[in-house]
Amino acid sequence: MSTMTINGRLAPLPADPDALLVDVIRDDLGLTGTKLVCGAGVCGACTVLVDGAPVVSCLMPARAAADTSVTTVEGIGAAALHPVQKAFMAHDALQCGFCTPGFVVEAAAFCDSWRKHKGTATPSREEIGAALSGHLCRCGAYDGIFNAVAAACAGQFDGGEFISPRVEARAKVTGSARYTVDIRHEGQQEGAILRSQFAHARITELDLAPARAIPGVSAVVSLLGDDRMVRFVGDPIAAVAARDRKTAVAALAAIRITSERLPSVIGLDAARQPGSPIVFERSNRKKAANVSEGTPAPASWNGNVRGPSTAFSHKAKKVRSWLAAARDARNPWLVEGTFRTGAQSHTCLEPHATVARFDGDRLTVHASTQSVFHVMELLAKRYKLGHDKVRVIADHVGGGFGSKGALGIETIAAIELAREARAPVRIAYDRREEMSVTGYRPAAELNIALLPSAQGDLKALSLTAYADTGAGTNSTLAALARLIYPAEAKELADYDVVSNLPPGAPFRGPGGPPMAFALEQAIDEAALRMKVDPIALRKRWDPNPNRQRLYDWAAGLEVWRNARTAAAQTGRYRRGVGVATGYWLYLWQPGVKIELKVAGGRLIASTATQDIGQGSRTVIANTVAQEFGLEPHDVEVRIGDSDLPEGPGAGGSRSTASVVPPTLLAVQKLKMAIEKDAKRKPPAGSNAPWREMIAASPDLGVTSVRPEDSKPASSEVRSALKEAGFMGMIFGWMLRRFSNLAVGAGAPSSVQVIEVEVDTWLGHVRVLKVHTGIAVGKIAAPALARSQATGSVIQGLGYALYEARETDPRSGDVLSAGMEDYRIPGISDTPAIDVHFDEAGFDHVLGGSVGIGEVATVPTSPALANAIRNATGVRLTELPIRPDRLMAALKGRAAA
Amino acid sequence: MTSASITASAPSAEFRAAGTDLSERRRSGVSTGPLIDIPPAPDTIGVTWDADGKLRIGALSSIAAIGADPRIAATYPGIAASALGLATPQVRHLATLGGNLAQRSRCWYFRDPHIACLKKGGTDCPARSGNHLYGVAFDLGPCVAPHPSTMAAALLAYDAVILTNQRQGLSIGDLLGDGSSGSSDHALAPGEMIREVELAAPPQGERALYKRAISRSHAEWPLAEVCARAVVTAGMFQFIRITAGGVAPVPLRLAACEAALQGKPASATTIAEAARQAKSGAKPLPMTAYKLDLLEGVVRDVLERLAR
Repeated sequence: MSTMTINGRLAPLPADPDALLVDVIRDDLGLTGTKLVCGAGVCGACTVLVDGAPVVSCLMPARAAADTSVTTVEGIGAAALHPVQKAFMAHDALQCGFCTPGFVVEAAAFCDSWRKHKGTATPSREEIGAALSGHLCRCGAYDGIFNAVAAACAGQFDGGEFISPRVEARAKVTGSARYTVDIRHEGQQEGAILRSQFAHARITELDLAPARAIPGVSAVVSLLGDDRMVRFVGDPIAAVAARDRKTAVAALAAIRITSERLPSVIGLDAARQPGSPIVFERSNRKKAANVSEGTPAPASWNGNVRGPSTAFSHKAKKVRSWLAAARDARNPWLVEGTFRTGAQSHTCLEPHATVARFDGDRLTVHASTQSVFHVMELLAKRYKLGHDKVRVIADHVGGGFGSKGALGIETIAAIELAREARAPVRIAYDRREEMSVTGYRPAAELNIALLPSAQGDLKALSLTAYADTGAGTNSTLAALARLIYPAEAKELADYDVVSNLPPGAPFRGPGGPPMAFALEQAIDEAALRMKVDPIALRKRWDPNPNRQRLYDWAAGLEVWRNARTAAAQTGRYRRGVGVATGYWLYLWQPGVKIELKVAGGRLIASTATQDIGQGSRTVIANTVAQEFGLEPHDVEVRIGDSDLPEGPGAGGSRSTASVVPPTLLAVQKLKMAIEKDAKRKPPAGSNAPWREMIAASPDLGVTSVRPEDSKPASSEVRSALKEAGFMGMIFGWMLRRFSNLAVGAGAPSSVQVIEVEVDTWLGHVRVLKVHTGIAVGKIAAPALARSQATGSVIQGLGYALYEARETDPRSGDVLSAGMEDYRIPGISDTPAIDVHFDEAGFDHVLGGSVGIGEVATVPTSPALANAIRNATGVRLTELPIRPDRLMAALKGRAAA
Repeated sequence: MTSASITASAPSAEFRAAGTDLSERRRSGVSTGPLIDIPPAPDTIGVTWDADGKLRIGALSSIAAIGADPRIAATYPGIAASALGLATPQVRHLATLGGNLAQRSRCWYFRDPHIACLKKGGTDCPARSGNHLYGVAFDLGPCVAPHPSTMAAALLAYDAVILTNQRQGLSIGDLLGDGSSGSSDHALAPGEMIREVELAAPPQGERALYKRAISRSHAEWPLAEVCARAVVTAGMFQFIRITAGGVAPVPLRLAACEAALQGKPASATTIAEAARQAKSGAKPLPMTAYKLDLLEGVVRDVLERLAR
């Protein structure tokens, strides 16, 4: 038997020629810091050192490691943290943390080599980018990673003293943070799902017996619905659990299926054709998935087209007649156009995963979820169990971005398999599943017409959106144009175009980025035609006080003041600047509770929320610590467990605004309780009075519930939904009643100014700098808020330039089912990002803070397209702005 | 390993060098036949410089080692730059020269375990009638996937000679075919594997460059890539050799481009006109016309830098 040395210890290698090094490290040796993500050598999460050289362990045959010395992330800082690990912590070079071990291993090797050859010189961004080009981070922590690697190479972290702004950062940089995929119970079985290879079929016979007969198979369950239909390639049919994945996959292949194939229709254009095959008959329309966070309002259907949903229109008839008149009069200020946006895959680095186990009648589920508490409620309801019999746990979650908010089939399948197998079962999606069937931001076609009045006000806006929602409905794009830029009249229509593709899902500001891509380019075009500065025009048309302040900031940027006068450029490289605006709703979750206690002289804050990288642990720790005059690490924060008091889901940018106010109330209550019970007051002049009182306090506990906000002092600060009048009130009521989300007053807002350089020979866009101004109130955790802001921009740049979910137009197979063909931004694609926080506007919220995650990604794609227009004179109307589209546009050719 | 022991294996057996291509196909189920690990042998790892200036590179040499070798970088800069321009650092440490030449297509239909295609024994090319965004712009055969080997395009530019365990003196054209076979990515016989690559000493005063067009900055398969060698003296192209990858089922020598430059002034005008010739003989598919624009742009970029 051959062996390797791993982190200084001898370990055997399996004889199986197909065994890969990553599987030996994770499964045989239990070193779960090394992550398996893409399985194709693209993302680098599995990077380990083999004889000192970083390699991708997901592609390296285990037998090739014979007689080598392997170092995993657990071996990097085993004795003492490596300077790179300390730098990652200090510079907050991480969010969800799932990519972090791979980055740390590579960066440590780079740093060691750099120090050997270059001393304490600082490497350039280009050098760091090239060294880390084999790593991908979906949260977009690249800004911090650049800073961390540069500082570590320069010797700034050779000493012991540093401050880590993210409370769980140490666990993430050392690989000890445990994610759902890392959970291993005694006797745990591996589950896998059999999926449809047809886009549309009725399963007439499903014979599970041959799978059950395979040795090592512990459970087989059907996942078919009562109609026995499959409506997309990848639709679940059955699931198996077995002693290992190989056996489970063999068992899936043994299941016998007889099916009646039905005609299918793929994609937006085909599904809109009259007479196209119907995906959902009338009786089955409720089976369509929900691509948004809110409950669907009723809408009419015509074939596969659901809509129009026009509730947010205002004097639609007037819009039509004014537009017709403007067309007849050849009004030069009338802006009309069609914009198309691509489908964006969430690409969570930790796949959707669940480990389910029963202990008697008590169900414990580890799930990679954005909502431990809500999933617990849904499971209790589904399986008719008391809340005390179901526990959902998510200590760390490797990204979600909206795709992990609901109760997924991976959780249901794992539970049902665990029940049948009488053993714990894990289901972790492989990368093809993750990139195919876990949702996406639907592609859209948006037809827009924007008409200024003769006086230069905004008179009419028409926006019609067709969203490519697959086997789902309830897209809201056009309606969002109601809540910004008031006009005399607006005609806003949303259509879902249903086809035999996997359904879309909520994705970071659902509907916001595609709406903004059309609207913000139309505004830019109007400004050009009216010969008005684009920021000045927005300032005129958009009275929102938060954005008025951001417009002033943007107009004052040096690049804006200097760069707009450039003459027409003709060279290979052309530079330009663009601006765009975004907003989002301020949402918070009623009923959220924070328990705060003193136990053993230490503060503990608890709530059943979860941290998917946004930093809620830190927000709570900072808030408590600040009130008591302590350091964040003096506060223990317990989250990620549905047994804790009810906490918010991590979606809709609601976390901060839901947890900070009850935390502040709990602090007040606890202070009173501590003082009441205190045997003696601290000496006068003590600079840490609470530290001493807490240390001396008997065990005490209080719980506070998220209070309603106070009334804003200014009448201009009101809910964005107020712009939509009565329908807005109805919408707000429905959201609270059915989705347990309150819409608060004030609009979280973002204005971005982007500088680009276009290479007209290679169709390449280089983003030189992004200035992002954000108004989300007081910043609760500054370093982490900056990480969220820059990460949102980077994800927005991916949406704008690279990311496109591609499908086969006949079979409906997802072609971009790996991370090689689905292109998310890398570190070298990250420009310098200047973040400006405007902290006013939310004084009516206790603590003054609202969420940042969504608003910061909305304006990126139109700001970029407007910058390209400024650089080249050509307007790009289709996302992503890949080289093929850019070259076609520059040559005046229609893109394929 | 002797050739006898190899031919004894089933024809569907695949050789594995570092596995950076094969491991992904094994995991997905696209490759299911027997595996033969190529045993490391001293003469297949590392480089040898012969007295006549010839370079011999063992097929199991890693791409990273080729890219990092200072003498290769000085003598054959197009080879070194190509090696450093492909994949990622962690793949380059593993991947071998032989494996890079004999790797299979990156076509997303070929890599999908549920879809039949010519390279998996199917009867037609689903990309041709489907989504071929990353397909060829020189449509030379029934399969529309571009050849994935960056090193092959570079070696073509250097007239490299390939030695296998069965044959000697193969050109890149002999090794990879002319693109008319839709079913394979190379013309190696069953049981045949690459052992060594030979490069003749380059002319005095030669410079060479490599460049690829991609959507991001790094770590992406080329939309179009070019390796070019040139001797520019007295402002004239005395010698020019240009090859392209990412645009055809096999790497291409851009002969029309070379003809427009050979003996001509190294001026912006000549270069722009020559770059337009890069499209000569192209047959783009409905979705791949852009690759010709990119090819022209990359050729122009590389030539302008060589002329400087």
